[in-house]
Amino acid sequence: MDSASRYLSLEKPNKADHLWRYTPWKKVHPTGDVSEIPLLGQPEISLGVIDGSDLPPGIELKLGAAGEPDFSRSSAFTNSFLHASAESSQWTLVVDKGFSSEKPIILEVDTGDSPSIAHISLEIGKTSEFELITRVTGSSEWFGLLRTGQIQDGAVVNDVVIGLLERGTMLRSDSIDICRDAQVRAGTVSSGSERTKSDLRYIMGESGGNIRVLGSILSTDSMHLDHHIEIHHEAPETYSRLSWHSACGGKSRTIGTGMLTIRKGSRGADAAQIFHNLLLSKSAEADSIPELEVMENDVVGCGHGTANGPIDEEQMFYLKTRGFDEDDAKRSLIAAFLNSTLSEMGGEALHEWLVGELSLQLEALNA
Amino acid sequence: MNTQLVPLILRDNLRLPLLEIKDLHAGIDGNEILKGINLKIGPGEIHAIMGRNGSGKTTAANVIMGHPDFEVAEGDVILEGESLLEMESWERARKGVFLSFQYPQAVPGLQVGNFLRKSVASIRGEEEAKGAAFREKLTMAMESLDIPRTFMSRYVNDGFSGGEKKRFEILQMMLLSPRLAVLDETDSGLDIDGIRTVSEGVNAAIRGTDSGALIITHYSRILEHVQPDMVHVLLDGKIVSSGGPELATKLEERGYEWLKQE
Repeated sequence: MDSASRYLSLEKPNKADHLWRYTPWKKVHPTGDVSEIPLLGQPEISLGVIDGSDLPPGIELKLGAAGEPDFSRSSAFTNSFLHASAESSQWTLVVDKGFSSEKPIILEVDTGDSPSIAHISLEIGKTSEFELITRVTGSSEWFGLLRTGQIQDGAVVNDVVIGLLERGTMLRSDSIDICRDAQVRAGTVSSGSERTKSDLRYIMGESGGNIRVLGSILSTDSMHLDHHIEIHHEAPETYSRLSWHSACGGKSRTIGTGMLTIRKGSRGADAAQIFHNLLLSKSAEADSIPELEVMENDVVGCGHGTANGPIDEEQMFYLKTRGFDEDDAKRSLIAAFLNSTLSEMGGEALHEWLVGELSLQLEALNA
Repeated sequence: MNTQLVPLILRDNLRLPLLEIKDLHAGIDGNEILKGINLKIGPGEIHAIMGRNGSGKTTAANVIMGHPDFEVAEGDVILEGESLLEMESWERARKGVFLSFQYPQAVPGLQVGNFLRKSVASIRGEEEAKGAAFREKLTMAMESLDIPRTFMSRYVNDGFSGGEKKRFEILQMMLLSPRLAVLDETDSGLDIDGIRTVSEGVNAAIRGTDSGALIITHYSRILEHVQPDMVHVLLDGKIVSSGGPELATKLEERGYEWLKQE
């Protein structure tokens, strides 16, 4: 069955489903008519190096997808829709075995001003070492991003997606396999679009996989940013940490739901997830629900937690005694809060670049 | 009368105190903690306040700096002729008041280097926070306090040991060159070497300048390294005794009980 037929055959999700509790499918569908799979445009996508220098050999963006993705551990509903919609809007990022780059690589995605979609398949070769930024910009009313693929044995990859759409809705779904001994930092920076629905899934099906999933989310005005993150430990000696920081201002709402599974046989798995929410106004709202499913007894650890709160008044006072005025102090504390996860996403060059991107958003903050 | 002294006496009488605390009554949540404090610190002077736990020492520091939780019922706090009470704490900082905290706040995510630059720019002006002169001043201050370069990339007070926090407070004081430094139990939790290092920092920042300092402490050890001009004893929200440095020695030997009996 092809993806379009599959999507149309599935029962539409309802609020009882954990994944759709806070953001109904109808709200993130491009037209609102959930029985429709509309024709969507292609964004402009280009691959380069963060400082504008020449792309090193061994990394290439090709048109077309690398075979049929495996959606067995993903949301069949979202992914069949996105896959069907992106039938003529597919790319594959091919990274050769042993590829290495000290400078971060940037995948620029410009959605333009009309609804568009992209399916990007990641084929990250064995023992490659590099940092990848996927920056989504544009002013389209709707953008869909489906990322599938695998990070192969022994690769060391920092993979950051930064969403800076000027308006509209972004629907994103990741389904990434982390192979044997691969080390991945998967970062999400979200500060654009009026509505975001993300479903991020990382599967460690081979031993020694290691992933840190990090989020720096800034919501303002009446934004609605809903991120669902799943990390699946399906092999021994796998390691994961999820650290998600959301700063929520205006009348906005952020949602972070996590699902951590440790399958029977994943001995020595070590996993933890924590959500922190910083509430910047009385009208802002943040919800976090971390969940665990542990089927193996012999684990190193498996924990979860969540913390919500306003800006710390003692921290404010400390900065004020150092000459920061009210706005400076507040902005610095929000930046610091987001920076706690941002700084973990990659090396110094990547971090500085991300801080620069986010500082523009902070300047415009109207909490 | 030695007529040559007259102009000096007149000049000194005309000089405004650096800090003047007048009949200060203050507290928190409706509880009066300070019950009428009077204190004058002249330019170039270092004063010490000693007292038992709960006597109001930290409250005095917080009121001088403008902590929003503390309410002033009566009296005034005046810096160089200007009342501080209506000013926000950041305005007081920009006027030259510095508070070294007993328990400095950690700010995870805020890098020390960025924090220091921003703070110096806010208080001393943008020009003083950039260029070779700033870097040189920073390097010298860090070396004098035995603070390694790696500090710059750490987060403010995040994971710092007790001694590192106190040295970092003094580093900030040295960079900000305040008019008045209030040091709230900066010596607590420091070993002997730490006290000596911190004391050298205080002496370097205040001695030989027309700035002043108010050292709040339980112990006389720091006062052996930073010789105060005056020592005041705070008991139950009132200054019950004032004197020279010998008063600190007497308190170390005899405790506070004898003051109650006098």
